Amino acid sequence: MMCDPRLGCPPPVERLYGYVPNASDVSYLTTVSLRRHPFYPKGLLHRTTSSRGFPEERVRNFSIVAHVDHGKSTLADRLLETTGVIEEGRQVLDHLPVERERGITVKAQSASMVHLHRGHRYLLNLIDTPGHVTSATKCLALWQPLRELCYWWMLNRVFKLKLWLISCSPLRQTSQLFLSSTRLIFLSPTLRESMSSYTTSLDSVLKRAYSPSGSRDKPLCVLLFDSWYDHYRGVVCVVAVKDGSIGVGDEVSSYHTGLSYEVAEVGLLQTKRVPIPRLYSGQVGYVLLGMRNSTEAHVGDTFYHTGSKVTPLPGFIAAKPMVFAGFYPMDQSEYPVLRTALEKLTLNDSSVSVFQDSSVALGQGWRLGFLGLLHMDVFRQRLEEEFDASILVTTPSVPYKVVFRDGSEQTFLNPAQFPEEVYTVEEFREPVVLGTLVTPDEHLGKLLSLCQDRRGVQQELVYMDQSKVLLKYTLPLSEVVIDFNDQVKSLSSGYASFDYEEHGYEPAPLVKLDVMLNGRVVDALASVVHRDKAYSTGKTICGKLKDNIHRQLFEVAIQAAIGKRIIARETVKALRKNVTAKCYGGDITRKMKLLRKQKEGKKKMKQIGNVELSKDAFLSVIQR
Amino acid sequence: MSSAEPISLYVHIPFCETKCPYCDFNTYAAIEPLMPTYVAALKSEIALWGSLLDGPEVHTVFFGGGTPSYLPSEDIRHTMKAITTAFNLAPCAEVTLEANPGDFTADKLAAYLDCGINRLSIGIQSFDDDLLQTLGRRHNAADAVHAYRQAADAGFENISIDLMYGLPYQNIQQWQSTLAQALELAPPHISMYCLTLEGGTPMERWVDQGSMPTPDADLAADMYLMAQDEMRHGRYRHYEISNWAQPGRRSQHNLTYWRNDPYLGVGPGAHSYLGDCRFSAIKSPREYIRRMQSVSPDSCGEPMRAMISSVPVVDEIEQIDTPLEMAETMMMGLRLDEGIGIAGFKERFGEPPSHFYADTLDELERLELLHTQEDALRLTHRGRMLGNEVFSRFFN
Repeated sequence: MMCDPRLGCPPPVERLYGYVPNASDVSYLTTVSLRRHPFYPKGLLHRTTSSRGFPEERVRNFSIVAHVDHGKSTLADRLLETTGVIEEGRQVLDHLPVERERGITVKAQSASMVHLHRGHRYLLNLIDTPGHVTSATKCLALWQPLRELCYWWMLNRVFKLKLWLISCSPLRQTSQLFLSSTRLIFLSPTLRESMSSYTTSLDSVLKRAYSPSGSRDKPLCVLLFDSWYDHYRGVVCVVAVKDGSIGVGDEVSSYHTGLSYEVAEVGLLQTKRVPIPRLYSGQVGYVLLGMRNSTEAHVGDTFYHTGSKVTPLPGFIAAKPMVFAGFYPMDQSEYPVLRTALEKLTLNDSSVSVFQDSSVALGQGWRLGFLGLLHMDVFRQRLEEEFDASILVTTPSVPYKVVFRDGSEQTFLNPAQFPEEVYTVEEFREPVVLGTLVTPDEHLGKLLSLCQDRRGVQQELVYMDQSKVLLKYTLPLSEVVIDFNDQVKSLSSGYASFDYEEHGYEPAPLVKLDVMLNGRVVDALASVVHRDKAYSTGKTICGKLKDNIHRQLFEVAIQAAIGKRIIARETVKALRKNVTAKCYGGDITRKMKLLRKQKEGKKKMKQIGNVELSKDAFLSVIQR
Repeated sequence: MSSAEPISLYVHIPFCETKCPYCDFNTYAAIEPLMPTYVAALKSEIALWGSLLDGPEVHTVFFGGGTPSYLPSEDIRHTMKAITTAFNLAPCAEVTLEANPGDFTADKLAAYLDCGINRLSIGIQSFDDDLLQTLGRRHNAADAVHAYRQAADAGFENISIDLMYGLPYQNIQQWQSTLAQALELAPPHISMYCLTLEGGTPMERWVDQGSMPTPDADLAADMYLMAQDEMRHGRYRHYEISNWAQPGRRSQHNLTYWRNDPYLGVGPGAHSYLGDCRFSAIKSPREYIRRMQSVSPDSCGEPMRAMISSVPVVDEIEQIDTPLEMAETMMMGLRLDEGIGIAGFKERFGEPPSHFYADTLDELERLELLHTQEDALRLTHRGRMLGNEVFSRFFN
């Protein structure tokens, strides 16, 4: 072992160099110090074959919580550099292309590092949390029962705290997250930039964080807090061991699914998997259970030795989808490609709910549920990039019910199934949910307006304490599936929370909104809407078509109608001039190419009577 | 191979004193030092083609560019000499030179007449000084009128002027005034072009960025209609979509294009259509010069394409098969007021147009864009305005 405990703690960097280095010096210094310094040789843990030598009092688990973009992953990388786990300058914890591009973390991971302090080696586990709102809340709530996760808050330069959880009083935050007993470290901007501070910061983690409270001697109790799919080994489960120890060959079971597995591999995560024989209580790492399907790995699940008794850890969260969208292949011929892509990607992301769906115009597809708009966007980007799929994302539909005069009922999803003979209909029904909102009172007004706007009916309004309000509203599902949750978050700067549960069906005056071009109905653009929303929806559709239908030989009259009644209308003027001014020798080749392209373009258009409808115009209406 | 049919000859002069912001032709400012070597290369190319094609009959010559009038008149004289040596120039051939109103001097004009130029095309564009500035032209309206009169006085009888409409900031009154002044000048031939914003030009960038207003397409349509109406007051025949001529003054050279007849282009970026090939030369003047300097004339009697490829400056060649030739003949010919002569078409292709395009012609008639008469197919007034809608339908 390179590190000699008798030499004591390494001197602060200022003493080595005679001054406090600034930010631009950091990577240079890291290089120099890591190479020359005897205390932090590289790859410390790669040579360690066991974590048995780290009892609970020598283990600390901590997490960095910060708003998207606040450099949390950079900080994490600097810490890994400081402790010799990685080479300087590499950004390691965000590894998906979409993560690098958007500068966000999608998957949470942990990284273990060894920190030397006063002659003792400590195993510090950094839990990387996703920065965007929904997942971070869930992550933190998950760890709460373990009570030993130290949170490291990041503040930005001018103390204008953009941190989504911070307010003027940190205690308020902690009470909201039920973290009253958890230790917090605040990281100020100046600290962030100097290298010696990283060492100091790690020291603070040691001092301020609780050591894990479990015991090796108790029966095994393991928390699963993340997973991903590895092509060769199956599902990799990221775990924190509360009690006991888990090793290769152990038989374990999941408390929530009831399934059993044999442990194939156990180890620490240090930007890659480092296998060791056993993980002990208080330690964080990964296990390979031979799991083939990532739907079996539920975040918050508890694992224990098969046959023994266990009290499951609280905090098991079933991800509830908040945003829905229709996902269709651009062309029905690409349906198999998209289906395979979806299967593969959902293996890796079990928080996406998948339902089959179909549409008159687009054929077969799916309705997918996501945790939020960002989740949906990232998912779509991954489908397009990693699987080369071309996708159409549409506003989702909800299943409506119609009750006929003769008593029979029918559920329909498609506007095409809207009953033609309206006189046979007794009433229509739409699905509703019971939504629960918890918000600080300063955002109450905005949220009440939002619910009002979305045809919500207030069921309850209660002050939980001086400043926090609980709201219960029944809301039509159709008003919730698009972006309700994201609106709630944005109107309340992230402070309010929203949850919902199904609440049956309620009567609603529904109508079928038709779209006509020069008098001809375009089936593919029809939709079913609540009567009150018909006018605004119709107007929006007509507007989008007007902007996207190209001028043609004849005037195009765009109309939105309910039955025979026209409720909105726009016009696209006829084309008056479309001719190439010059046509001499040098122009001819180019002009022929242009005309040929125009002809090809025409072939791709759909002919509705005498109106040419391009794919883009069509998409402008149905796409999200 | 010896060309049985007379061809038209186009000569490209890629030099300009300044480059207009809307121009996307193959022309350059500030390369004057290349002029001497360029003229030498041009003469070389002309000689090469003369020998390859075995001294074909040339019935029109057109000096275009760029600004041919920017070249010293001596160079024009030398080039004409090379042409008459290499080709068989018809005695009453139309020989046109494009000119900028700022370049006219009595000496130059005399020299042109002397070496065989018998038609001038003057790029006036507008009689409104403000608009001329917007267009970046280096002359004003008075210069333009003066230049015209100089040319007429020097002895040119066949003069054409170019005008532009659909310009940013141009209103209908300015256009009306330009038309009035043009009619007063009464040149034998007038071309009028709607401004097209071409990609990569400064003007397109300005409009894109918003520092120049987007030209209004409907206003341009109105201007075109106004031009049609006003020109009826003179003795002009609206013989092509963008061209008007007094009796006997139609541009013979351009008619070659519209009738889809063969033509040879020499100079950098020039386009040609011989036999069943349409081809163009390398665009860069420097490269053009370099390549011509390394040439040695080769054998004739090969298939058209192989022969053309042997000329080192040729850059892109497109082979036109009969269906395409037919479609292009329709598209180009309909631009003319004489339309597509049914007899002529039958002679060229074996059957009348209705044999090949029955459905298309029916549809166009129904849409009132085309009408079929005994002797010819012609565009209607509306068809002229919506020409591209008609033309694109002839591709299969």
